[in-house]
Amino acid sequence: MSSIVRLPGVLPESIPIPSFIVTACTFFWVHFHDLMVRLPLGNRMLNYIEKSSHDDPYRTIIEVSLILYGIYYYLSNPQKKKSLQGINRNLSKQEIDNLIDEWEPEGLVHRDAKDNAKQEWRLAKIPVVVDGGVDNYVSVTRNDAQERFDNVFNMSSYNFLQLSQTESVLEKARQTIKQYGVGACGPAGFYGNQDVHWNLEYDLAKFFGTEAAVLYGQDFTVAPSVLSAFTKRGDVIVADDQVSLSLQNALQLSRSTVYYFEHNNIESLDKLLTQLNAQEAKEKLPAIPRKFIVTEGIFQNIGDIAPLPELVKLKMKHKYRLFVDETLSLGVLGKTGRGLSEHFGMPRATSIDVTVGSLATAIGTSGGFTLGDAVMSNHQHIGSNAYCFSACLPAYAVSCASKILRIMDEDNSAVSTVQQLSKSMFNFFDGALREMRNYITVVSDDVSPVVHLELTPEFRSSRFHYTADQLFTYVSSSQKKRQTTIIFEPYEAEEQFLQAIVDELLMKHNILITRNIFVLKQETLPLVPSLKICCNANMNEQELLGACASIKEVILGFCSNK
Amino acid sequence: MTLDDGTHDATHVPLFPPEDISIESKRENEFGSLTSKSYLFQVKSCHNEPIPEPIIDTPPYYISLITYVNYLILIIFGHVHDFLGIHFQRSKHLDIVEKDGMAPWYSKFESFYVRRLKKRIDDCFSRPTTGVPGRFIQCIDRVSHGFNEYFTYPGTTNMCLNLSSYNYLGFAQSEGQCTDAAISAVEKYGLHSGGSRSQIGTTELHQEAERLIAKFVGKEDAMIFSMGYGTNANFFNAFLDSKCLIVSDELNHTSIRTGVRLSGATVRSFKHGDMEGLEKLIREQIVIGQPKTGRPWKKILICVEGLFSMEGTMCNLPELVELKKRYKCYLYVDEAHSIGAVGPKGRGVCDLFGVNPHDIDILMGTLTKSFGAAGGYIACDKWIIDKLRCDLTTPNYAESPAAPVLAQIISSLRTIIGELNPGEGQERLQRIAFNSRYFRLALQRLGFIVYGNADSPVIPMLLYCPSKMPAFSRIMLQRKIAVVVVAYPATPLIESRVRFCMSASLTKEDIDYLLRHVDEVGEMLNLKLNSGKSSWDGKVQRWDIEEVIRRTPEDCKDDKYFVC
Ligand SMILES: Cc1ncc(COP(=O)(O)O)c(C=O)c1O
Repeated sequence: MSSIVRLPGVLPESIPIPSFIVTACTFFWVHFHDLMVRLPLGNRMLNYIEKSSHDDPYRTIIEVSLILYGIYYYLSNPQKKKSLQGINRNLSKQEIDNLIDEWEPEGLVHRDAKDNAKQEWRLAKIPVVVDGGVDNYVSVTRNDAQERFDNVFNMSSYNFLQLSQTESVLEKARQTIKQYGVGACGPAGFYGNQDVHWNLEYDLAKFFGTEAAVLYGQDFTVAPSVLSAFTKRGDVIVADDQVSLSLQNALQLSRSTVYYFEHNNIESLDKLLTQLNAQEAKEKLPAIPRKFIVTEGIFQNIGDIAPLPELVKLKMKHKYRLFVDETLSLGVLGKTGRGLSEHFGMPRATSIDVTVGSLATAIGTSGGFTLGDAVMSNHQHIGSNAYCFSACLPAYAVSCASKILRIMDEDNSAVSTVQQLSKSMFNFFDGALREMRNYITVVSDDVSPVVHLELTPEFRSSRFHYTADQLFTYVSSSQKKRQTTIIFEPYEAEEQFLQAIVDELLMKHNILITRNIFVLKQETLPLVPSLKICCNANMNEQELLGACASIKEVILGFCSNK
Repeated sequence: MTLDDGTHDATHVPLFPPEDISIESKRENEFGSLTSKSYLFQVKSCHNEPIPEPIIDTPPYYISLITYVNYLILIIFGHVHDFLGIHFQRSKHLDIVEKDGMAPWYSKFESFYVRRLKKRIDDCFSRPTTGVPGRFIQCIDRVSHGFNEYFTYPGTTNMCLNLSSYNYLGFAQSEGQCTDAAISAVEKYGLHSGGSRSQIGTTELHQEAERLIAKFVGKEDAMIFSMGYGTNANFFNAFLDSKCLIVSDELNHTSIRTGVRLSGATVRSFKHGDMEGLEKLIREQIVIGQPKTGRPWKKILICVEGLFSMEGTMCNLPELVELKKRYKCYLYVDEAHSIGAVGPKGRGVCDLFGVNPHDIDILMGTLTKSFGAAGGYIACDKWIIDKLRCDLTTPNYAESPAAPVLAQIISSLRTIIGELNPGEGQERLQRIAFNSRYFRLALQRLGFIVYGNADSPVIPMLLYCPSKMPAFSRIMLQRKIAVVVVAYPATPLIESRVRFCMSASLTKEDIDYLLRHVDEVGEMLNLKLNSGKSSWDGKVQRWDIEEVIRRTPEDCKDDKYFVC
C-alpha cells in the first residue's frame, strides 16, 4: 500500500477544507487507487490525475463535480422528470383519472348552424360535369343532380391552350397506356422514373431554356416542397403581398424570416431590400444567408403580372434569388408561350432562378414541375419532400405533355389565339366599364386568360358595408385567436351575391363562370371575392364576346337593382 | 431552344418503343399466371385481437461495430475529399461555396451526407425504367462516369424480376379490363380535369370513384385527390391548430409530418408501435394540457400508418381503437400501403384486424400502390367530408384527378370487389397473401433478419453495413432482380436494409428464383445473422435452400411459424 504515502497530494493544502471531507476523500482515493493500479493503463491514468490536481486543483474539482453530476443525471431518468414538471403537483392516480374523465374535446371538425348554412350553399353550387369531359360545351348538374343544364358554354376551365384535346395527343395517351399502363407504382428514387419522365424533364428544360426541370405529382404541392428544400432558419424571403395560397404555405414551411412588399411595387421592394442588406451587414453573420424574392407570373387571385425586368435588376443589385410561381403564365405569356421571361424578352436561365410551373393548366395534362439550373434541380432529387416521397406521375400524362410541348414548339397558333382572345375579353370588359364603373373593376391585365372582376370598394361598402381592410383585419385576428371557424357576415353576403350572378348566367344564359373560390380560414394575405372568366384557344371570338355581353348584362342587372 | 429527340446526346435517357412481342408473352411479363392452386392463401381476420409486440432480432455486436466503423471510414474519407476538393479542385465544388456574394444553394455541412455518402451509390437509385412496372420491370442500362457524376445510356435494357414497385395487387398492367377502362376514359373524358374540384374539376367519374372507395373502406363518404403526398400535406390544417395535439408514431411518413407542420398543431411522438408509451403520453398530455397556458387541448388526434413502409409492421389497430375510445381522442390511419394489399378482402388494416371502420375517425389511403393508379383519398363520415370539401385547400386550389386515372381506380376497385371479372380480385388477394408469407418465412429460415408482420407485403431484410447496400443492389441487378435498398435517414443509422415489395403478379417459381439468389448473395455478403430470437422455435435458423423451397409453401400457411 505504497499509495497512502502520497495521499496528501490528492488535495493540496492551499485550499482550506474541513477535515471530515479530507478523510472521506482519502478513503475513496485509497480504494480508487487500489483499483486503478490493478487495471491495465491504470498507473498512467493515476499519474495524470495526480499531476493535474497538483497543477490545477480547481480543474480537478470541476471535473469531479461534472462526473458526479453525470452519474446523478443518468440515475435520475430525465424522461420521467420532464413529464412530471408540467404537472408540478403530485397528483394521485385517482386525481389524474378524474382529470382525464373530465376532459371534453371539441368535435373533430366544427359544426354549428351558421357554419352549416355557409357550407351548404357552397356545396350545392359545385358543378358536376356529366356525360363527357371538361370541354367548351358541357352538361353540368348541381346539388346532387337536382339541377341539370345541358349545352353550357364553359368559361371556367384552366385548359387555356386546349392542345390536350387534339387527336394526336389523345392518340399518344392511348399508345402510352397500352405500353406503360396507368400508374408508375413507385417514387422517382425507386424505379418510378420511366424513360418518358426523364424525357419530359429534358423537354421542359429545353423548351423553357433552363438547364434542368424536375417533375412533381401535383401543382399545388410544388412550391411548398421546393422552397423549403432550400431554406432554413435565418434565411431571408421577401414576398409579394398578393401571392396565392400555395406560396403562402411555402413561406410558412420555409422556416425563414419572411418580409412582404407591396404588390408589384418596385420602389417599396428596393427600399426593403436595401434596408435588409444594411441590417445584415451590421449583424456580421458567419455566412451569407440564402435570400429569395418570391412572386408570381400571373397572380392567381388578381390576374395581373409581375414586372420581371425590374425584379431582375433588383435581385442582381441586392444579390437575391428570384422564385416565381408561373402556374398560370407558362404556355400563355410570351409569343410562343414560354412564359413571363419571354413576355419581357429576357432569357429565363439568367433572370429567374426557380420557376414553378403546372402541367395541369395551359399544358393540359396533370402534375407540376420546376425549372432552374442543374445544381438546384439535382438538390431537389434528394431534398424536396414532394419529389422524394411521392410516386411519379402516370406515364401517359407525361408523354402527352412532351407531345404538347412539341406541338407548341412547332406551331404557336394556340398561344396566339389565347392571347388574342384574352385581349378582346379584357377590352370588352374594360370598355364596358363605362356602364359598370360604379359597380365593378377589372383587376386583371389584358394578357391574362382569366379575367377577374371585383366589386369596386365604394360599391362594396355601400351594398355590403365592409372594406377589404376590415375583412383582412377580421380574418387575421380570428386566425391569431385560432378560431375554429371564420364567418364574416358581410363577406358571406357578397359571396352569395356573386354566386347569384353565376347562377343567373348558368340558368338563363347557359354560361358557366365561377367565383374565385378560396378558403378564407387559410388565407393569410388580404383578399377580396371576385368573379373569374376564362377563355381558351378553342373558343371563337364571336361566341366569347357574346358570352361576355351576357355576363355584363347580368352583372349590371344585379348591381343596379336594389 | 427547339426540341429534338436528344439521340445525339449520350447522357440523355433514350425513349424506348413498345416491345414487339405477342400479347400472351406481354401478359405473362406483366402478371404471371398462377401455377398451382396450392399457391394461394386466404387471410383470416383476427377478430379484433391485438397483435403481440413484434420481437426485433438483433445482429451480433461485431456487426454493429463494423457498421459504425464503416460509417466512420466513409465520413473521414468524405471530409478528406471535401478538404482536398475545395482547395485543389475548386471548379468542381462551386455548388457549396459562396459565389458573387450569394450563398450556395445548400451548405457544405447539410449536403455532406448526400455528396459524400449517397453519391457513391447513386447508381442504385433512380434507375430509369421503361414499360409496365409489373411482374418484370425493364431497367434501362446505364454506365456511370466519374463516380456517378453522370451516366451514359448505351440503349439497351435489362428485364428484371420486380421486387421494387408498389404493385401489390399486380394492377400495373397494359392490357385487361383496367387498361380498357383507362383508354375509353381518354376517349370519353379527355386528359384534362379543368381546374380545382370546386370550380370545374368535378365529373361524374370523380363521384363514382368516391362512392366506390367509401363503400370499399366501409365509410359513409370519401374524397379523392390527385396526389397521395398532397392529400396528407394539405390535410391537417383544415381542422387543427396550435391548440390541438397530434400524437404521432415516430416513423410516420414525411407527408404526414409536412401536413402537421403546416397546421401548426403541437406534435408529440411515441416510439414506433409502443402502445404503452402511447397511453402514458396521452394520459400525461390530457393532464398537462397546452404548454405555457396549461389549458386543456382542444382535441387530440392519434396519427398512425396502417402498414409502415420501411418496417413492414402494422399498427396495433385494436389497441389503438381501445385507447382512442378510452381517452376520447380521434384516430387517423394512413393506409397508403395497406389498402388493397392486406386483409381478407383487401380492405386494409380494419379488415385484417376485424375492426369496425366506424371506430376510426379518418381513413386515408393512396391509390398509387395497390390500384396501379395515382392519387389519394380521405374517407370519413359524410358530415365531416362535407365540411372538409369546403375547408380543405386541395379541392379548392389544386388540380383534380384526371379521367384515365379515375377509370383505373374504378375498374381495379371493382375487380377487387368482384364486380368485374368475378374471381380475379380474390385470386389476386390470395396470391399476394401467399407470396408475402412464403417469401417472408423462407427468408427467415434461410437465416436472414426480417422485420414486420406475417401478412405484410412489405418485407424488409436487414443488411446493416452501408457498403453492403450497393453491393446487394448491384449483384441483384446483375442477376436480373430489381430491389430497393434504403438507409439512413429513412431508417435508423445502422439498420440499412433492402426492402422487398411483394406482388400478386409474381409466381411461386419467381419467388424460388429470387430465394436462390438471395441465399447465394446473402452467403457472400454475410447477411445470415438471424439469432433465432424471432423464429417460432427460438432456434437459430440456417436451412438449406432446397429444404426451404420444399417445405415452406405449405408451412407458410400456418400461423404458428410466424412470431408476429
Ligand atoms: C404512408 C404514406 N403516405 C403517403 C404516401 C404518398 O403517396 P403518393 O405516392 O401517392 O404521393 C406514401 C408514399 O410512399 C406513404 O408511404
